[in-house]
Amino acid sequence: MKLPKPWQALAPVVLSLTAAGYSQTLQQAESLWRSHDYINASSVFDALLKAHPENVTYKVRAGEFYYARHDYMADAAKLFQEAIALDAKNAQAYLGLARVYEEEFSGKATEMASKAIELDPKLYEAEELKARIALEDDDRPKAIAAADVALKINPDAVNAIAIHATIDLLDDKESPWVAKVGNRGVGYETIAHFFVINRRYEDGIAYYRKAIAATPDLWSAHSQLGVNLMRMGFDQEAYKELELAFNNDHGSDASTRNSLKLLDTFKDYVTFKTPNTILRLDKKEADALRPYFEQQMKFNIALFEKKYQYKLNAPVQVEVYPNHEDFAVRTMGLPGLGALGVTFDTVVAMDSPSGRPPGEFHWASTLRHEMSHVFILKLTNDRVPRWFTEGLAVHEETATTPDWGDRITPQIIAAIRDKKLLPVAQLDRGFVHPEFAAQVIVSYFEAGKICDYIAERWGEPKLLDMAKQFSKNVPTSTVIRDQLKMEPEAFDKDFLSSLDKETGHIVKNFEEWTKGLGELNKLARQPDSKPDDLLTKARALEAGYPDYVETGNPYLIAVKACLAKSDKACALDEFAKYSKNSGRDADAIKQYAKLLDEAGMTKPAAAQLDRLNFVNPLDQDLHERLGALYLKTGDAPLAVREFEALVALRPVDAAGAHYNLAKAFNIQGQKDKAREEALNALEAAPNFKPAQKLLLEVSGEGTSK
Amino acid sequence: MGRSLTRSLIPAGLPALVALSACTLQATTYMVTVAGLGGEADYEQRFALLANDTDKILKSGGATDRVVETLKGPDATKAKLNATLSRIASQAKAQDVFILMLIGHGTFDGAEYKFNLPGPDISGTELAIALNRIPATRQLVVDMTSASGGVTTALKKDGRTVITATKSGMEKNATVFARFWVEALRDPAADTDKNEVVSAAEAFHYAQTKTAAFYTEQKRIATEHPQLEDQQKAASFALVRYGSAASVITDPAKRDLVAKKEDIENKIDALKFEKDLMSPEEYRRQISALLLELAKTQELIDK
Repeated sequence: MKLPKPWQALAPVVLSLTAAGYSQTLQQAESLWRSHDYINASSVFDALLKAHPENVTYKVRAGEFYYARHDYMADAAKLFQEAIALDAKNAQAYLGLARVYEEEFSGKATEMASKAIELDPKLYEAEELKARIALEDDDRPKAIAAADVALKINPDAVNAIAIHATIDLLDDKESPWVAKVGNRGVGYETIAHFFVINRRYEDGIAYYRKAIAATPDLWSAHSQLGVNLMRMGFDQEAYKELELAFNNDHGSDASTRNSLKLLDTFKDYVTFKTPNTILRLDKKEADALRPYFEQQMKFNIALFEKKYQYKLNAPVQVEVYPNHEDFAVRTMGLPGLGALGVTFDTVVAMDSPSGRPPGEFHWASTLRHEMSHVFILKLTNDRVPRWFTEGLAVHEETATTPDWGDRITPQIIAAIRDKKLLPVAQLDRGFVHPEFAAQVIVSYFEAGKICDYIAERWGEPKLLDMAKQFSKNVPTSTVIRDQLKMEPEAFDKDFLSSLDKETGHIVKNFEEWTKGLGELNKLARQPDSKPDDLLTKARALEAGYPDYVETGNPYLIAVKACLAKSDKACALDEFAKYSKNSGRDADAIKQYAKLLDEAGMTKPAAAQLDRLNFVNPLDQDLHERLGALYLKTGDAPLAVREFEALVALRPVDAAGAHYNLAKAFNIQGQKDKAREEALNALEAAPNFKPAQKLLLEVSGEGTSK
Repeated sequence: MGRSLTRSLIPAGLPALVALSACTLQATTYMVTVAGLGGEADYEQRFALLANDTDKILKSGGATDRVVETLKGPDATKAKLNATLSRIASQAKAQDVFILMLIGHGTFDGAEYKFNLPGPDISGTELAIALNRIPATRQLVVDMTSASGGVTTALKKDGRTVITATKSGMEKNATVFARFWVEALRDPAADTDKNEVVSAAEAFHYAQTKTAAFYTEQKRIATEHPQLEDQQKAASFALVRYGSAASVITDPAKRDLVAKKEDIENKIDALKFEKDLMSPEEYRRQISALLLELAKTQELIDK
């Protein structure tokens, strides 16, 4: 928990309620709560709410209770909302709701806190909360102002003191405010929270330790210490802290509970180490994924070492979770999206390709994104604004491999149309406290495009210059002025003008384009539709929004039209456009590869199939096809890689997979391995004649020797 | 299923089944596929397509030892199905094989399973009565409908193997098992022992694996759990033959080699049976020698 327990702050209210006559049962609930008997406290609160549905105080107190129970935020929010509906002037209810929203990094938290202070000008906790929210947005003047108001009401307000201390510490300054926190663990806990959300995990851990030293039974700090130790790869100590929190006050906290569960599952993982990489994979898919992940990790390290002129002094650790919920545990309590991957110092946690429906995400793009963070966070000593590290990571997804990364989506088009992009100096806000549903995604896009724009106008090395200046804890506005020699406002203007050149036509015609795509799909479903009509319409739509390669995209409709005319060249041309624009539907790319192969372009066919390895390396059919193409092109090592992956996936046709692997080894000249694999094939199918022939050949037996 | 698969699945010492499969070589196999009522255009089309594909695959290769019949669309009525089964009952002999494949929707009310057909449905009990009249002592029913697990009890009979798409009658969602079953019939990868025959056991294993993968990949809770009561019996039903699988060695000069080959095959089966009792190294050494010997023998037979 990141704030003082509500019941501590509200003790006088409880006493006054006691005097009011309905105290006995509320007193029971409070007493049970204080003695950590949460089940019975919950029952008493529920009974009170049932018996007195119109009682605002009960709702607020029950809301505070559920808020403090961590896992019941939705219940707490509902109770505060009901209390406000009954009494629109209840400041405590607004404060409660503000706290819930703040936990969720919702943009509505400040509004609720302001309302609370408006209704009760002495409610300094609301000002403390406003200060916290402002600092999460990196709006330091606003945070200082709110903290000062809180201190004017209560000069000893610990969280307001902690906000001041945090600002100094984040700027690497000695702070007189730290001493004022004294022996109050919650103050250090607040400081730790800000270090963590600024990705300074080591500093965060140090302050959680201070919080615990000051207040040993501050279980929320034990829990967060455990979570962050785990993020840094210190699993044993993490387990100890989490278990301590779990066994005391924090059993109902999802982050504590799920982190412990995740640590318990680590026995199902296997770790592969090289001098500069540590790869943790689930045993079930380790053999199939390892070659692809390890190869990409090494590629990325070489790429970024050269590009950022920086050498890591520790290996990069990548953890790959087949269960998305396990990965999600890693990102709990952090702002931003973190939907696919997350980086903690040199540790990257991400979804496995099996963690989502096949083809849904580009794991290699995600890995490159996260590994860019590893370098930039280390290079800047974690002193880099969120927008810049995210923007650079998005930029890196496509900088080296243009067909990777995500394309402009309809949500982003709508945000551009509605002028919802943020000025560069305020872009962090879009990640931390989004004000509309898609703002985090839009902010990723915007930050990425800003980095693209800088690289294009000032050259790629300018991004590195900016990163180096950020490492000195310089704010965005200053970096823009120093490095780009212009005011941030002028930069925003130029950037938006450039973006308009790139996307203006899509944004302007988006509604018409959407209508056109619907009509095209309808026409394509009609059995008597004319291929030439489909082609004309599809090509017009392709030009209108080339990035659209999702469901119902015009490229694949055009492909069908071409094939209906038996015009393979036309189909290849459409597939090429689809692929270039990042189209990566497995069936479509397999069909494209087949056409290329049939046209004698076996190497390009293999290259297309290899693209799918970066999307779904667990696709057995893909490895079989790609392995066969590599056998055809004579790329034996790659054929070996593909068939080894196939064997690792335990296909139904085990004999066939081992036989193909044996053939690949044989071509590679590795007779011993070829013999072993031929024997493996025959063990599954003793009368498999091609495998028998190969066994005799590589054993130097039989008549063919 | 050819002889070699039978061997690979059964430890040495079970000659009865080997004799049984040998017996199938002279028998006729009656294969009936029924695509039931779709209810919606999409299902109607999908079921008909699967039945068409099955019909085409089973008839390909011009095998003369099988009779293939397919009922779909408006023809798949209870009356026509009963008529088809009655006709086969009058033609089939005890040594023949009968295979019934049901594609579509099924229902189960807690007591009785029904296969949905245009017009009146056919119940599990009615199906059992019709099948019991068919003299073929070896029967295979592949019920790929929703709730098909509910038919198992009604169809239980010596000599009859039942495959269902669902574990019980309570798994009532539309199934995907049929799609992968048909895929197994045309995908050589389903022939896991590479004897150029796809057996019911192999097709089941293929479809079961693909069905499970389908739900895992789609991140959906599996609403069907295919069932096969007797793996070994299912291995003796040959669904699709290709290549030279049906060719029989007639050259008297090679009889000794064939006998030697069968002897090695039996030794391989026996060794596999004892695998868990040996060190991995010793097992590998022995199986490698036998597999090499088998390959050499086969090369001499094929000369």
